[in-house]
Amino acid sequence: MSETTGIDELLMRQRLLVAIGPGGVGKTTVSAAIALRAAELGRRTLVLTIDPAKRLADALGLTELEDRIRAVPTDELRKRGVEVKGELYAAMFDNAASMDSLMKRVAPDAETRDKVLRNRVYRAMAGTLARSHAYLAMERLHQVMNSGRYDLVILDTPPARNALDILDAPSRLATFLEEGVVKWFVPNKGRGLRARLMQGSGAAATKLFEVVVGKELASETIAFFEAFYSMREGFHTRASAIQGMLRARDTSFVLVSSADATHLADAEALAAGIKARGVRIDVAVFNRAYERLTHADPLAIVSSAGVLDSPTTIRLLFSDELHRSERDTMTALLTSLHMVRTQAAASNQRALDSIRKLSQLLPSDALGLIIARLDGDIRDLPGLHALGPYLAATRSLHTT
Amino acid sequence: MNLSATSLLDRRLLMFTGKGGVGKTTLVAALACEAARRGRRPLIVELGHRASMEAVFEVDHIGYEPREVGRGVHAMNLDFDSALAEYFEEHIPVKRVARTVIRNKTLQKFFHAAPSVSEVATLNKLSALESERTATGGLRWDPIFVDLDATGHAIMLLNLPSVMDGLIGDGPMRRLVDGFSSLLTDPHRTILNLVTLPLELPAQETVELYQRLREHHDVELGVLFVNQVPSRPLGPAQAGMLDRLEHRAREFGIDTLVDDVAIARRAMRYHVNARSQINRMQRDIDMPMVELHNIASRVLNLDTIAEIGESTFALLDSGQQREETHVGAAPRR
Repeated sequence: MSETTGIDELLMRQRLLVAIGPGGVGKTTVSAAIALRAAELGRRTLVLTIDPAKRLADALGLTELEDRIRAVPTDELRKRGVEVKGELYAAMFDNAASMDSLMKRVAPDAETRDKVLRNRVYRAMAGTLARSHAYLAMERLHQVMNSGRYDLVILDTPPARNALDILDAPSRLATFLEEGVVKWFVPNKGRGLRARLMQGSGAAATKLFEVVVGKELASETIAFFEAFYSMREGFHTRASAIQGMLRARDTSFVLVSSADATHLADAEALAAGIKARGVRIDVAVFNRAYERLTHADPLAIVSSAGVLDSPTTIRLLFSDELHRSERDTMTALLTSLHMVRTQAAASNQRALDSIRKLSQLLPSDALGLIIARLDGDIRDLPGLHALGPYLAATRSLHTT
Repeated sequence: MNLSATSLLDRRLLMFTGKGGVGKTTLVAALACEAARRGRRPLIVELGHRASMEAVFEVDHIGYEPREVGRGVHAMNLDFDSALAEYFEEHIPVKRVARTVIRNKTLQKFFHAAPSVSEVATLNKLSALESERTATGGLRWDPIFVDLDATGHAIMLLNLPSVMDGLIGDGPMRRLVDGFSSLLTDPHRTILNLVTLPLELPAQETVELYQRLREHHDVELGVLFVNQVPSRPLGPAQAGMLDRLEHRAREFGIDTLVDDVAIARRAMRYHVNARSQINRMQRDIDMPMVELHNIASRVLNLDTIAEIGESTFALLDSGQQREETHVGAAPRR
């Protein structure tokens, strides 16, 4: 990773940032902080997020669960002397609602739409199928990118089982509809569905499907596909547009991870998968990665604890004023303090090692951002703003 | 409320769920090692394609066929394609047809997209593993640890019978789903354990998951494992002298000592926050709880993992919640 000027240059240049990463690393918070930073730099920025923690949702003005785009009021920051030159907008995905509204947008007519929305298989899927989340996110993105209302959109991807779904989902659904599988199950020109199913591959496919899920579920599913199939044009057009958008020059993928072993394995798999799909990761953000050990420089990642000479320290600070029992407690306190620092330094060192290891999987000029563990949960805009210096920091990951 | 290690191990399917990054894989590996040490024949089943156990046990490949991964533990990766292939082979009488179907890429795609197919195939394999016997009639796997890869995954499996209800009539499919349903809801055979962290968001999600499970599902709930619990950094007498030390350190301009005090204060806040999340879960979740210390910060190898398993089971057997008693912690119910 090379030395650059933090994320600012990228924020001024790009139109879309896609944040990917394992669950539980603070991806939503990082996405929101990046969006705020962009707004501070003068961009009209939208952050599309999923299910933020309540306090973060409050901070972003998303207190009600809905996916309408809202302007985030930045007065609180202005009061503190932080100028927000651009604009900040936020919206949250509501998956069941998005799925329904997607069906409404894509359906060629009201009859098809109602058929789908009433279908029991669809209802069962819309509520529970995690696999469709990635597709929905892409759909929503496509919509807002085309509105022309934002200079920069930051997409916080859903915690899909496999975050690579965001690259695969659009074409998977389109291919699925195109590839003739569905054709087996849907009526052809001049021929009824049942008649067609009784012959050739269609019959075989239907039989197999019945074997797997049972007759009645199979027929309900087929009814669902029938309605779905008529939407294939709409899906196909969208899928190509979305694929183009994700691979455009003014799109950057941002990998967000912690520096914990538990997340890094997932992050590594993700980085490899992204690469295999011909997409570059431009930025890696390591969130809550280290403990700040130097008050004077919070950006410093200190990985050695130094030495402790408690008798000398106590003599220097207190001369002879401590009683014996007080001196014992003070000695114990100094030992404890040193132990806390030693553990923190060791964990910082492990974090640096992990970050270096992951960095080797990324393009050599990818930007590396390392955020310290901050106190408490981020619950307001000033809290998000506090991440700014970490996003703008120039770090060279190979020499720290 | 107590649940001994033995009574936990006497269940057939021990399912574990929790958000990514809570240390679930390490915990499952640790408990399986301890089960083996106690003379059982544990099998770890990973769902999906994560294969995290390969790194934990330092083996090159864990596939669909259970293999020994060390310390008397077997592991397998229950991937959907293989489970579906097996399902077809069982249900399509002509092997040649079954194989053709399995190899057909287009059909594969279809089954990936079709609803509930993945859950049917997965549960079909889990119940087959559950009933597997050795040549002498003993249990082949005892018990089966199921590492569910996300909280949603558990709900999807548990939801299957109700999703299917009304969509399937009587017949072989109904019998199969009823079989899954009775396996999942039989408290003597299946038990669902939760793994979480003592942080606000994971704790909140765990409470919500618990409520959802309680309201909508009959599955027996086992142990709530709280991972990465920080230990108390300073005793009260030491904490009482912090102000005095800080004051002097500033006076003498010893910056590192001022920093030390700030670091310790922060560590104390982490500890207090963790305790309050634990207390909150204890209040809202009626399950025995076991606290595990900062697993993530230790160097993990099979020895340390096996030790974690041993001490975790020792805690369960003793009815205690954690190894050390911290000053000022709330007493156990």
